[in-house]
Amino acid sequence: MAEPARRLQPIDTTAEIETPEHVRFHYPVAGPARRVVAWALDWLLRGAVLLVFAIIAVMGGLAIGDAVSGLSTGFLLVILFLLEWGYYTLWEVAWNGRTPGKRALDLRVVTVHGHPLRIGDSFLRNLLRAADFLPLGYAVGLVAMARDSRFRRLGDMVAGTMVIVEERRAVASTLRIDPPPTPKELASLPQRLPLSGDELEAIELFLRRKEGLGPAREEELAAMVAPLFASRMGLRNKDSARLLALLHARASERRRPL
Amino acid sequence: MRSQDEIVAARNADWRELETLVSRAEALHHLDGPSISRAAALYRALSGDLVLCRARCTPDLVAYLDNLAGRAHSALYGAEPFRLPAFGSLLTRDFPRALRKNASFFALSTALFLIPCAIGIVLALFVPDAASQILPRSMLDGMADMYSKGFDEGRGEGADSAMAGFYVRNNVGIAFRCFATGIFFGLGSVFYLIYNGLNIGMVTGWVTAAGFGRNIGTFMCGHGPFELTAIVVAGAAGLRMGHSLVVTQGRTRLGSLRESAPDIVHLVVGAAVMLLLAAGIEGFWSPSAAPPPVKWAVATLFSLLVTAYFLFAGRERARTP
Repeated sequence: MAEPARRLQPIDTTAEIETPEHVRFHYPVAGPARRVVAWALDWLLRGAVLLVFAIIAVMGGLAIGDAVSGLSTGFLLVILFLLEWGYYTLWEVAWNGRTPGKRALDLRVVTVHGHPLRIGDSFLRNLLRAADFLPLGYAVGLVAMARDSRFRRLGDMVAGTMVIVEERRAVASTLRIDPPPTPKELASLPQRLPLSGDELEAIELFLRRKEGLGPAREEELAAMVAPLFASRMGLRNKDSARLLALLHARASERRRPL
Repeated sequence: MRSQDEIVAARNADWRELETLVSRAEALHHLDGPSISRAAALYRALSGDLVLCRARCTPDLVAYLDNLAGRAHSALYGAEPFRLPAFGSLLTRDFPRALRKNASFFALSTALFLIPCAIGIVLALFVPDAASQILPRSMLDGMADMYSKGFDEGRGEGADSAMAGFYVRNNVGIAFRCFATGIFFGLGSVFYLIYNGLNIGMVTGWVTAAGFGRNIGTFMCGHGPFELTAIVVAGAAGLRMGHSLVVTQGRTRLGSLRESAPDIVHLVVGAAVMLLLAAGIEGFWSPSAAPPPVKWAVATLFSLLVTAYFLFAGRERARTP
Protein backbone atom coordinates (compact mmCIF):
# COMPACT_ATOMS: atom_id res chain seq x y z
CA MET A 1 0.00 0.00 0.00
CA ALA A 2 1.36 3.42 -0.88
CA GLU A 3 1.55 6.25 1.60
CA PRO A 4 -1.16 8.88 1.07
CA ALA A 5 0.07 11.59 -1.25
CA ARG A 6 1.54 14.61 0.48
CA ARG A 7 -0.87 17.48 0.52
CA LEU A 8 -1.10 20.60 2.58
CA GLN A 9 -1.64 19.51 6.12
CA PRO A 10 -2.69 21.68 9.02
CA ILE A 11 0.19 22.71 11.28
CA ASP A 12 -0.90 20.71 14.28
CA THR A 13 -0.71 17.15 15.51
CA THR A 14 -3.64 15.69 13.64
CA ALA A 15 -3.70 13.11 10.91
CA GLU A 16 -6.25 13.36 8.13
CA ILE A 17 -8.00 10.16 7.17
CA GLU A 18 -9.85 9.65 3.94
CA THR A 19 -11.89 6.48 3.93
CA PRO A 20 -12.81 4.54 0.77
CA GLU A 21 -16.28 6.12 0.85
CA HIS A 22 -14.57 9.53 0.80
CA VAL A 23 -15.42 10.37 4.35
CA ARG A 24 -12.72 12.66 5.65
CA PHE A 25 -11.94 13.24 9.26
CA HIS A 26 -9.03 14.09 11.49
CA TYR A 27 -7.51 12.15 14.33
CA PRO A 28 -5.47 13.91 16.97
CA VAL A 29 -2.15 12.02 17.15
CA ALA A 30 -0.90 10.96 20.58
CA GLY A 31 2.35 12.51 21.73
CA PRO A 32 5.21 10.83 23.58
CA ALA A 33 4.21 12.00 27.09
CA ARG A 34 0.80 10.42 26.94
CA ARG A 35 2.17 7.23 25.47
CA VAL A 36 4.83 6.98 28.15
CA VAL A 37 2.14 7.14 30.85
CA ALA A 38 0.10 4.46 29.07
CA TRP A 39 3.23 2.34 28.78
CA ALA A 40 3.95 2.74 32.49
CA LEU A 41 0.41 1.63 33.38
CA ASP A 42 0.77 -1.44 31.19
CA TRP A 43 4.15 -2.15 32.74
CA LEU A 44 2.64 -2.06 36.22
CA LEU A 45 -0.19 -4.33 35.14
CA ARG A 46 2.27 -6.82 33.65
CA GLY A 47 4.20 -6.76 36.90
CA ALA A 48 1.02 -7.40 38.87
CA VAL A 49 0.03 -10.33 36.65
CA LEU A 50 3.49 -11.85 37.03
CA LEU A 51 3.26 -11.41 40.79
CA VAL A 52 -0.08 -13.20 40.93
CA PHE A 53 1.29 -16.12 38.96
CA ALA A 54 4.44 -16.19 41.09
CA ILE A 55 2.29 -16.45 44.22
CA ILE A 56 0.23 -19.24 42.66
CA ALA A 57 3.43 -21.05 41.68
CA VAL A 58 4.98 -20.74 45.14
CA MET A 59 1.77 -21.78 46.89
CA GLY A 60 1.52 -24.74 44.51
CA GLY A 61 5.12 -25.64 45.24
CA LEU A 62 4.50 -25.49 49.00
CA ALA A 63 1.29 -27.48 48.80
CA ILE A 64 2.42 -30.27 46.53
CA GLY A 65 6.10 -30.36 47.31
CA ASP A 66 9.42 -30.04 45.55
CA ALA A 67 8.41 -32.20 42.62
CA VAL A 68 6.57 -29.28 41.03
CA SER A 69 9.17 -26.58 41.72
CA GLY A 70 10.80 -27.12 38.34
CA LEU A 71 7.40 -27.25 36.71
CA SER A 72 6.35 -23.99 38.32
CA THR A 73 9.64 -22.31 37.35
CA GLY A 74 9.07 -23.36 33.77
CA PHE A 75 5.48 -22.17 34.01
CA LEU A 76 6.57 -18.77 35.35
CA LEU A 77 9.16 -18.36 32.61
CA VAL A 78 6.51 -19.10 29.99
CA ILE A 79 4.22 -16.50 31.61
CA LEU A 80 7.11 -14.02 31.59
CA PHE A 81 7.69 -14.77 27.93
CA LEU A 82 4.01 -14.22 27.12
CA LEU A 83 3.98 -10.95 29.05
CA GLU A 84 7.12 -9.73 27.28
CA TRP A 85 6.21 -10.58 23.72
CA GLY A 86 2.48 -11.29 23.69
CA TYR A 87 0.86 -8.82 26.09
CA TYR A 88 0.49 -5.94 23.65
CA THR A 89 -0.55 -7.99 20.65
CA LEU A 90 -3.14 -9.96 22.63
CA TRP A 91 -4.78 -6.80 23.95
CA GLU A 92 -4.53 -4.82 20.75
CA VAL A 93 -6.19 -7.59 18.78
CA ALA A 94 -8.87 -8.32 21.36
CA TRP A 95 -9.64 -4.68 22.09
CA ASN A 96 -9.34 -3.08 18.66
CA GLY A 97 -5.99 -1.34 19.13
CA ARG A 98 -6.06 -0.75 22.84
CA THR A 99 -4.27 -2.12 25.87
CA PRO A 100 -5.55 -1.33 29.38
CA GLY A 101 -2.96 1.46 29.65
CA LYS A 102 -3.99 2.92 26.31
CA ARG A 103 -7.65 2.66 27.22
CA ALA A 104 -7.09 4.53 30.46
CA LEU A 105 -5.53 7.39 28.49
CA ASP A 106 -8.01 7.29 25.60
CA LEU A 107 -5.41 6.05 23.14
CA ARG A 108 -5.95 3.68 20.24
CA VAL A 109 -3.65 2.20 17.64
CA VAL A 110 -4.94 2.44 14.08
CA THR A 111 -3.27 2.08 10.71
CA VAL A 112 -2.02 5.25 9.02
CA HIS A 113 -5.07 4.97 6.78
CA GLY A 114 -7.34 5.05 9.81
CA HIS A 115 -8.33 1.40 9.61
CA PRO A 116 -8.44 -0.81 12.65
CA LEU A 117 -5.19 -2.69 12.93
CA ARG A 118 -4.93 -6.38 12.10
CA ILE A 119 -3.03 -9.05 13.99
CA GLY A 120 -0.01 -8.90 11.68
CA ASP A 121 0.33 -5.12 12.14
CA SER A 122 0.08 -5.46 15.87
CA PHE A 123 2.60 -8.30 16.03
CA LEU A 124 5.10 -6.36 13.93
CA ARG A 125 4.82 -3.05 15.79
CA ASN A 126 5.24 -4.79 19.12
CA LEU A 127 8.17 -6.98 18.05
CA LEU A 128 9.98 -3.85 16.99
CA ARG A 129 9.89 -2.69 20.62
CA ALA A 130 13.13 -4.67 20.84
CA ALA A 131 14.70 -2.11 18.48
CA ASP A 132 12.83 0.96 19.77
CA PHE A 133 13.88 0.15 23.32
CA LEU A 134 17.60 0.34 22.50
CA PRO A 135 19.98 1.26 23.99
CA LEU A 136 17.68 1.65 26.98
CA GLY A 137 14.39 3.23 27.97
CA TYR A 138 12.97 3.47 24.41
CA ALA A 139 15.64 6.01 23.44
CA VAL A 140 15.56 5.05 19.76
CA GLY A 141 11.76 5.10 19.75
CA LEU A 142 11.61 8.58 21.28
CA VAL A 143 14.10 9.97 18.77
CA ALA A 144 12.09 8.44 15.92
CA MET A 145 8.90 9.96 17.35
CA ALA A 146 10.48 13.38 17.63
CA ARG A 147 11.38 13.31 13.95
CA ASP A 148 8.02 12.09 12.68
CA SER A 149 4.99 14.30 12.13
CA ARG A 150 2.69 11.58 13.43
CA PHE A 151 4.87 10.65 16.43
CA ARG A 152 5.53 7.16 15.17
CA ARG A 153 8.23 4.99 16.67
CA LEU A 154 10.11 2.52 14.45
CA GLY A 155 7.59 -0.23 15.17
CA ASP A 156 4.74 2.01 14.00
CA MET A 157 6.62 2.85 10.81
CA VAL A 158 7.29 -0.77 9.92
CA ALA A 159 3.73 -1.85 10.70
CA GLY A 160 2.13 1.26 9.15
CA THR A 161 0.35 2.25 12.33
CA MET A 162 -0.04 5.31 14.52
CA VAL A 163 -1.43 5.99 17.97
CA ILE A 164 -4.36 8.40 18.17
CA VAL A 165 -6.22 10.15 20.96
CA GLU A 166 -9.88 9.29 21.27
CA GLU A 167 -11.20 11.56 23.97
CA ARG A 168 -14.94 11.97 24.14
CA ARG A 169 -16.02 15.51 23.59
CA ALA A 170 -19.25 17.40 24.07
CA VAL A 171 -21.29 19.19 21.44
CA ALA A 172 -20.62 22.92 21.39
CA SER A 173 -23.23 24.74 23.43
CA THR A 174 -25.50 27.44 22.10
CA LEU A 175 -24.02 30.86 21.90
CA ARG A 176 -25.24 33.22 24.62
CA ILE A 177 -24.33 36.82 25.10
CA ASP A 178 -23.43 37.73 28.64
CA PRO A 179 -24.72 40.12 29.94
CA PRO A 180 -27.78 40.02 27.60
CA PRO A 181 -28.07 43.03 25.29
CA THR A 182 -30.14 45.85 26.82
CA PRO A 183 -32.97 47.42 24.74
CA LYS A 184 -30.97 50.65 24.75
CA GLU A 185 -27.96 48.96 23.20
CA LEU A 186 -30.10 47.21 20.59
CA ALA A 187 -31.91 50.42 19.75
CA SER A 188 -28.62 52.06 18.83
CA LEU A 189 -28.04 49.48 16.08
CA PRO A 190 -29.49 49.77 12.56
CA GLN A 191 -32.49 47.51 11.81
CA ARG A 192 -30.84 45.93 8.77
CA LEU A 193 -27.14 45.33 9.25
CA PRO A 194 -24.91 46.24 6.33
CA LEU A 195 -22.89 43.06 6.86
CA SER A 196 -22.18 40.21 4.46
CA GLY A 197 -22.72 36.54 5.36
CA ASP A 198 -18.98 35.98 5.60
CA GLU A 199 -18.63 38.89 7.97
CA LEU A 200 -21.39 37.56 10.21
CA GLU A 201 -19.77 34.14 10.18
CA ALA A 202 -16.43 35.63 11.19
CA ILE A 203 -18.12 37.45 14.06
CA GLU A 204 -19.75 34.23 15.24
CA LEU A 205 -16.44 32.34 15.10
CA PHE A 206 -14.84 35.08 17.15
CA LEU A 207 -17.61 35.06 19.79
CA ARG A 208 -17.40 31.29 20.13
CA ARG A 209 -13.67 31.34 20.65
CA LYS A 210 -13.86 34.26 23.07
CA GLU A 211 -14.07 32.00 26.13
CA GLY A 212 -10.65 30.55 25.41
CA LEU A 213 -8.91 33.88 24.91
CA GLY A 214 -7.44 36.22 27.47
CA PRO A 215 -9.15 39.65 27.82
CA ALA A 216 -6.20 41.42 26.18
CA ARG A 217 -6.12 39.07 23.20
CA GLU A 218 -9.90 39.28 22.92
CA GLU A 219 -9.80 43.06 22.75
CA GLU A 220 -6.86 42.97 20.33
CA LEU A 221 -8.73 40.72 17.88
CA ALA A 222 -12.02 42.59 18.19
CA ALA A 223 -10.28 45.92 17.68
CA MET A 224 -9.09 44.75 14.27
CA VAL A 225 -12.57 44.72 12.76
CA ALA A 226 -15.02 46.46 15.12
CA PRO A 227 -13.93 50.03 14.20
CA LEU A 228 -14.52 49.22 10.51
CA PHE A 229 -18.07 48.07 11.21
CA ALA A 230 -18.66 51.01 13.56
CA SER A 231 -17.66 53.59 10.97
CA ARG A 232 -19.65 51.79 8.27
CA MET A 233 -22.78 52.08 10.43
CA GLY A 234 -22.00 55.43 11.97
CA LEU A 235 -21.81 54.02 15.50
CA ARG A 236 -19.64 55.01 18.43
CA ASN A 237 -17.21 52.23 19.30
CA LYS A 238 -16.42 52.08 23.01
CA ASP A 239 -15.97 48.35 23.54
CA SER A 240 -14.99 46.43 20.40
CA ALA A 241 -15.84 42.95 21.71
CA ARG A 242 -19.20 44.14 23.03
CA LEU A 243 -20.02 45.76 19.71
CA LEU A 244 -19.39 42.49 17.89
CA ALA A 245 -21.59 40.63 20.36
CA LEU A 246 -24.40 43.14 19.82
CA LEU A 247 -24.11 42.87 16.04
CA HIS A 248 -24.41 39.11 16.34
CA ALA A 249 -27.45 39.44 18.61
CA ARG A 250 -29.19 41.70 16.12
CA ALA A 251 -28.36 39.37 13.22
CA SER A 252 -29.76 36.29 14.95
CA GLU A 253 -32.78 38.28 16.11
CA ARG A 254 -33.57 39.12 12.49
CA ARG A 255 -33.03 35.54 11.38
CA ARG A 256 -35.38 34.15 13.98
CA PRO A 257 -38.17 36.65 14.52
CA LEU A 258 -39.79 36.06 17.92
CA MET B 1 -26.96 30.52 5.40
CA ARG B 2 -27.27 28.65 8.69
CA SER B 3 -25.46 29.56 11.83
CA GLN B 4 -23.64 27.07 14.02
CA ASP B 5 -26.47 27.01 16.55
CA GLU B 6 -28.94 26.13 13.83
CA ILE B 7 -26.72 23.38 12.46
CA VAL B 8 -26.34 21.90 15.94
CA ALA B 9 -30.07 22.18 16.61
CA ALA B 10 -30.90 20.42 13.35
CA ARG B 11 -28.35 17.64 13.56
CA ASN B 12 -27.71 17.06 17.23
CA ALA B 13 -30.34 14.32 17.59
CA ASP B 14 -28.68 12.28 14.85
CA TRP B 15 -25.23 12.76 16.39
CA ARG B 16 -26.49 11.63 19.79
CA GLU B 17 -28.09 8.58 18.24
CA LEU B 18 -24.87 7.61 16.48
CA GLU B 19 -22.95 8.18 19.69
CA THR B 20 -25.24 5.82 21.58
CA LEU B 21 -24.96 3.16 18.88
CA VAL B 22 -21.18 3.46 18.81
CA SER B 23 -20.71 3.32 22.57
CA ARG B 24 -23.20 0.47 22.99
CA ALA B 25 -20.75 -2.04 21.56
CA GLU B 26 -16.99 -2.15 21.12
CA ALA B 27 -17.61 -3.55 17.67
CA LEU B 28 -20.87 -3.18 15.86
CA HIS B 29 -21.20 -6.86 15.02
CA HIS B 30 -22.77 -7.18 18.45
CA LEU B 31 -25.71 -5.10 17.28
CA ASP B 32 -28.68 -6.28 15.23
CA GLY B 33 -28.97 -5.66 11.48
CA PRO B 34 -31.24 -2.59 11.52
CA SER B 35 -29.02 -0.88 14.10
CA ILE B 36 -25.95 -1.47 11.97
CA SER B 37 -27.50 -0.04 8.83
CA ARG B 38 -28.87 2.87 10.86
CA ALA B 39 -25.36 3.51 12.21
CA ALA B 40 -23.92 3.33 8.70
CA ALA B 41 -26.50 5.85 7.43
CA LEU B 42 -25.84 8.20 10.34
CA TYR B 43 -22.10 7.89 9.75
CA ARG B 44 -22.48 8.90 6.09
CA ALA B 45 -24.67 11.82 7.05
CA LEU B 46 -22.08 12.81 9.62
CA SER B 47 -19.44 13.04 6.92
CA GLY B 48 -21.55 15.67 5.19
CA ASP B 49 -21.92 17.58 8.44
CA LEU B 50 -18.15 17.48 8.84
CA VAL B 51 -17.53 19.11 5.49
CA LEU B 52 -20.07 21.82 6.29
CA CYS B 53 -18.83 22.44 9.81
CA ARG B 54 -15.17 22.51 8.88
CA ALA B 55 -15.96 25.55 6.73
CA ARG B 56 -18.37 27.22 9.16
CA CYS B 57 -18.02 26.14 12.74
CA THR B 58 -15.65 26.53 15.61
CA PRO B 59 -12.80 24.10 16.24
CA ASP B 60 -14.44 22.52 19.29
CA LEU B 61 -17.50 21.43 17.31
CA VAL B 62 -15.31 20.19 14.46
CA ALA B 63 -13.21 18.26 17.01
CA TYR B 64 -16.35 16.70 18.44
CA LEU B 65 -17.49 15.59 14.98
CA ASP B 66 -14.01 14.35 14.02
CA ASN B 67 -13.93 12.30 17.18
CA LEU B 68 -17.39 10.88 16.58
CA ALA B 69 -16.51 10.04 12.97
CA GLY B 70 -13.33 8.30 14.11
CA ARG B 71 -15.16 6.24 16.69
CA ALA B 72 -17.95 5.34 14.28
CA HIS B 73 -15.37 4.40 11.67
CA SER B 74 -13.47 2.10 13.98
CA ALA B 75 -16.70 0.55 15.28
CA LEU B 76 -18.18 0.02 11.82
CA TYR B 77 -15.03 -1.52 10.43
CA GLY B 78 -14.09 -3.26 13.69
CA ALA B 79 -10.78 -5.10 13.83
CA GLU B 80 -10.65 -8.48 12.25
CA PRO B 81 -10.80 -10.82 15.16
CA PHE B 82 -8.09 -13.44 15.36
CA ARG B 83 -8.91 -16.11 12.83
CA LEU B 84 -7.48 -19.61 13.12
CA PRO B 85 -7.70 -20.46 9.38
CA ALA B 86 -5.49 -17.46 8.58
CA PHE B 87 -2.91 -18.78 11.01
CA GLY B 88 -3.21 -22.26 9.48
CA SER B 89 -2.64 -20.98 5.96
CA LEU B 90 0.30 -18.97 7.22
CA LEU B 91 1.99 -22.18 8.32
CA THR B 92 0.96 -24.35 5.38
CA ARG B 93 1.48 -21.77 2.67
CA ASP B 94 2.59 -18.22 3.39
CA PHE B 95 5.64 -18.91 5.55
CA PRO B 96 7.43 -21.40 3.25
CA ARG B 97 6.50 -19.24 0.25
CA ALA B 98 7.93 -16.13 1.83
CA LEU B 99 11.09 -18.06 2.65
CA ARG B 100 11.53 -19.29 -0.91
CA LYS B 101 10.89 -15.81 -2.21
CA ASN B 102 13.62 -14.49 0.07
CA ALA B 103 16.01 -17.39 -0.46
CA SER B 104 18.96 -15.06 -1.02
CA PHE B 105 18.45 -13.41 2.37
CA PHE B 106 18.13 -16.83 3.95
CA ALA B 107 21.40 -17.91 2.32
CA LEU B 108 23.17 -14.75 3.48
CA SER B 109 21.78 -15.14 6.97
CA THR B 110 22.89 -18.78 7.09
CA ALA B 111 26.40 -17.80 6.02
CA LEU B 112 26.55 -15.01 8.60
CA PHE B 113 25.62 -17.54 11.26
CA LEU B 114 27.47 -20.70 10.20
CA ILE B 115 30.84 -19.20 9.24
CA PRO B 116 31.41 -17.55 12.65
CA CYS B 117 30.10 -20.74 14.22
CA ALA B 118 32.73 -22.81 12.39
CA ILE B 119 35.42 -20.26 13.25
CA GLY B 120 34.33 -20.47 16.88
CA ILE B 121 34.61 -24.26 16.93
CA VAL B 122 38.02 -24.22 15.26
CA LEU B 123 39.34 -21.49 17.58
CA ALA B 124 38.10 -23.22 20.70
CA LEU B 125 39.51 -26.57 19.58
CA PHE B 126 42.88 -25.63 18.17
CA VAL B 127 43.91 -22.26 19.57
CA PRO B 128 44.70 -22.62 23.25
CA ASP B 129 42.80 -20.15 25.42
CA ALA B 130 41.08 -18.44 22.50
CA ALA B 131 37.63 -19.20 23.88
CA SER B 132 38.45 -18.18 27.43
CA GLN B 133 39.81 -14.87 26.10
CA ILE B 134 36.42 -14.05 24.65
CA LEU B 135 33.83 -15.76 26.86
CA PRO B 136 33.93 -15.78 30.64
CA ARG B 137 35.84 -18.79 31.95
CA SER B 138 33.22 -19.59 34.57
CA MET B 139 30.47 -19.81 31.95
CA LEU B 140 32.58 -22.13 29.76
CA ASP B 141 33.43 -24.39 32.66
CA GLY B 142 29.79 -24.43 33.68
CA MET B 143 28.88 -25.56 30.19
CA ALA B 144 31.56 -28.28 30.17
CA ASP B 145 30.38 -29.43 33.57
CA MET B 146 26.77 -29.49 32.41
CA TYR B 147 27.57 -31.79 29.51
CA SER B 148 30.08 -33.94 31.40
CA LYS B 149 27.43 -36.23 32.84
CA GLY B 150 25.72 -37.19 29.64
CA PHE B 151 22.05 -38.04 29.50
CA ASP B 152 21.97 -41.73 30.34
CA GLU B 153 19.71 -40.94 33.28
CA GLY B 154 17.57 -38.25 31.67
CA ARG B 155 17.07 -35.10 33.70
CA GLY B 156 13.81 -35.45 35.63
CA GLU B 157 10.49 -33.90 34.70
CA GLY B 158 10.69 -30.87 37.00
CA ALA B 159 14.06 -29.80 35.60
CA ASP B 160 12.79 -30.51 32.09
CA SER B 161 9.83 -28.13 32.44
CA ALA B 162 11.96 -25.44 34.02
CA MET B 163 14.45 -25.67 31.18
CA ALA B 164 11.71 -25.70 28.53
CA GLY B 165 10.39 -22.45 30.02
CA PHE B 166 13.90 -21.04 30.02
CA TYR B 167 14.45 -21.98 26.37
CA VAL B 168 11.14 -20.46 25.30
CA ARG B 169 11.95 -17.14 26.91
CA ASN B 170 15.64 -17.03 26.08
CA ASN B 171 15.73 -18.39 22.56
CA VAL B 172 12.62 -16.71 21.22
CA GLY B 173 13.99 -13.47 22.69
CA ILE B 174 17.29 -14.00 20.86
CA ALA B 175 15.51 -14.63 17.57
CA PHE B 176 13.12 -11.67 17.95
CA ARG B 177 15.98 -9.30 18.77
CA CYS B 178 17.94 -10.72 15.85
CA PHE B 179 15.00 -9.72 13.66
CA ALA B 180 13.99 -6.40 15.23
CA THR B 181 17.45 -4.84 15.14
CA GLY B 182 17.41 -5.36 11.37
CA ILE B 183 15.56 -2.04 11.28
CA PHE B 184 18.98 -0.37 11.61
CA PHE B 185 19.66 -0.98 7.93
CA GLY B 186 20.19 -4.68 8.63
CA LEU B 187 23.24 -4.03 10.79
CA GLY B 188 21.66 -5.31 14.00
CA SER B 189 20.74 -8.61 12.39
CA VAL B 190 24.25 -8.96 10.96
CA PHE B 191 25.69 -8.32 14.42
CA TYR B 192 23.42 -10.74 16.28
CA LEU B 193 23.87 -13.50 13.69
CA ILE B 194 27.66 -13.30 13.88
CA TYR B 195 27.62 -12.88 17.67
CA ASN B 196 25.31 -15.84 18.30
CA GLY B 197 27.11 -18.01 15.72
CA LEU B 198 30.49 -17.31 17.27
CA ASN B 199 29.12 -17.89 20.77
CA ILE B 200 27.47 -21.21 19.99
CA GLY B 201 30.53 -22.35 18.03
CA MET B 202 32.92 -21.51 20.85
CA VAL B 203 30.85 -23.23 23.50
CA THR B 204 30.53 -26.33 21.33
CA GLY B 205 34.25 -26.30 20.62
CA TRP B 206 35.13 -25.78 24.29
CA VAL B 207 32.91 -28.59 25.52
CA THR B 208 34.30 -30.85 22.79
CA ALA B 209 37.86 -29.95 23.74
CA ALA B 210 36.99 -30.84 27.33
CA GLY B 211 36.09 -34.31 26.05
CA PHE B 212 32.30 -34.20 26.09
CA GLY B 213 31.70 -33.63 22.38
CA ARG B 214 29.52 -36.70 22.13
CA ASN B 215 27.21 -35.42 24.83
CA ILE B 216 26.72 -31.91 23.47
CA GLY B 217 26.28 -33.37 20.00
CA THR B 218 23.48 -35.72 21.01
CA PHE B 219 21.93 -32.91 23.02
CA MET B 220 21.93 -30.31 20.26
CA CYS B 221 21.08 -32.50 17.29
CA GLY B 222 17.42 -32.90 18.30
CA HIS B 223 16.27 -29.30 18.50
CA GLY B 224 19.03 -27.83 16.31
CA PRO B 225 17.12 -28.30 13.03
CA PHE B 226 14.31 -26.17 14.42
CA GLU B 227 16.07 -23.75 16.72
CA LEU B 228 19.14 -22.81 14.72
CA THR B 229 17.12 -22.66 11.51
CA ALA B 230 14.54 -20.42 13.17
CA ILE B 231 17.22 -18.00 14.39
CA VAL B 232 18.60 -17.88 10.84
CA VAL B 233 15.07 -17.31 9.46
CA ALA B 234 14.51 -14.43 11.90
CA GLY B 235 17.88 -13.03 10.88
CA ALA B 236 16.85 -13.32 7.22
CA ALA B 237 13.67 -11.35 7.99
CA GLY B 238 15.79 -8.66 9.65
CA LEU B 239 18.13 -8.52 6.65
CA ARG B 240 15.12 -8.25 4.32
CA MET B 241 13.82 -5.35 6.38
CA GLY B 242 17.21 -3.62 6.35
CA HIS B 243 17.59 -4.23 2.61
CA SER B 244 14.23 -2.62 1.86
CA LEU B 245 15.46 0.52 3.63
CA VAL B 246 18.67 0.65 1.59
CA VAL B 247 17.45 -0.47 -1.85
CA THR B 248 14.19 1.42 -2.21
CA GLN B 249 13.63 0.99 -5.97
CA GLY B 250 12.38 4.50 -6.36
CA ARG B 251 9.98 4.43 -3.42
CA THR B 252 10.34 6.37 -0.25
CA ARG B 253 12.22 4.46 2.44
CA LEU B 254 9.02 4.07 4.38
CA GLY B 255 7.05 2.94 1.33
CA SER B 256 9.70 0.40 0.50
CA LEU B 257 9.66 -0.84 4.09
CA ARG B 258 5.88 -1.20 4.00
CA GLU B 259 6.17 -3.15 0.77
CA SER B 260 8.27 -5.76 2.54
CA ALA B 261 6.05 -5.94 5.63
CA PRO B 262 3.88 -8.96 4.64
CA ASP B 263 6.95 -11.08 3.88
CA ILE B 264 8.55 -9.99 7.13
CA VAL B 265 5.47 -10.91 9.18
CA HIS B 266 5.24 -14.34 7.56
CA LEU B 267 8.91 -15.06 8.17
CA VAL B 268 8.91 -13.92 11.79
CA VAL B 269 5.70 -15.68 12.78
CA GLY B 270 7.00 -18.85 11.11
CA ALA B 271 10.28 -18.53 13.00
CA ALA B 272 8.39 -17.99 16.27
CA VAL B 273 6.38 -21.19 15.77
CA MET B 274 9.56 -23.13 14.99
CA LEU B 275 11.15 -21.78 18.15
CA LEU B 276 8.22 -22.88 20.29
CA LEU B 277 8.55 -26.36 18.78
CA ALA B 278 12.28 -26.26 19.40
CA ALA B 279 11.79 -25.26 23.05
CA GLY B 280 9.52 -28.23 23.63
CA ILE B 281 12.02 -30.60 22.03
CA GLU B 282 14.96 -28.99 23.83
CA GLY B 283 13.21 -29.22 27.15
CA PHE B 284 11.91 -32.75 26.95
CA TRP B 285 13.52 -34.78 24.16
CA SER B 286 17.09 -33.49 23.88
CA PRO B 287 18.06 -34.29 27.50
CA SER B 288 16.19 -37.60 27.52
CA ALA B 289 17.92 -40.92 28.09
CA ALA B 290 17.34 -42.17 24.53
CA PRO B 291 20.50 -43.78 23.11
CA PRO B 292 22.62 -41.54 20.86
CA PRO B 293 21.93 -43.46 17.62
CA VAL B 294 18.20 -42.92 18.11
CA LYS B 295 18.76 -39.21 18.78
CA TRP B 296 20.85 -38.85 15.64
CA ALA B 297 18.27 -40.74 13.60
CA VAL B 298 15.49 -38.49 14.89
CA ALA B 299 17.63 -35.42 14.20
CA THR B 300 18.13 -36.55 10.62
CA LEU B 301 14.39 -37.05 10.27
CA PHE B 302 13.73 -33.57 11.70
CA SER B 303 16.23 -32.01 9.30
CA LEU B 304 14.66 -33.74 6.33
CA LEU B 305 11.21 -32.63 7.48
CA VAL B 306 12.24 -29.00 7.80
CA THR B 307 14.00 -29.09 4.43
CA ALA B 308 11.04 -30.71 2.71
CA TYR B 309 8.68 -28.22 4.35
CA PHE B 310 10.70 -25.23 3.17
CA LEU B 311 11.08 -26.65 -0.32
CA PHE B 312 7.61 -27.96 -1.04
CA ALA B 313 4.95 -26.61 1.34
CA GLY B 314 2.57 -24.13 -0.28
CA ARG B 315 3.61 -24.71 -3.86
CA GLU B 316 0.78 -24.38 -6.36
CA ARG B 317 -0.50 -27.71 -7.53
CA ALA B 318 0.08 -28.38 -11.22
CA ARG B 319 -3.05 -27.21 -13.01
CA THR B 320 -4.84 -29.86 -15.02
CA PRO B 321 -5.99 -28.46 -18.35
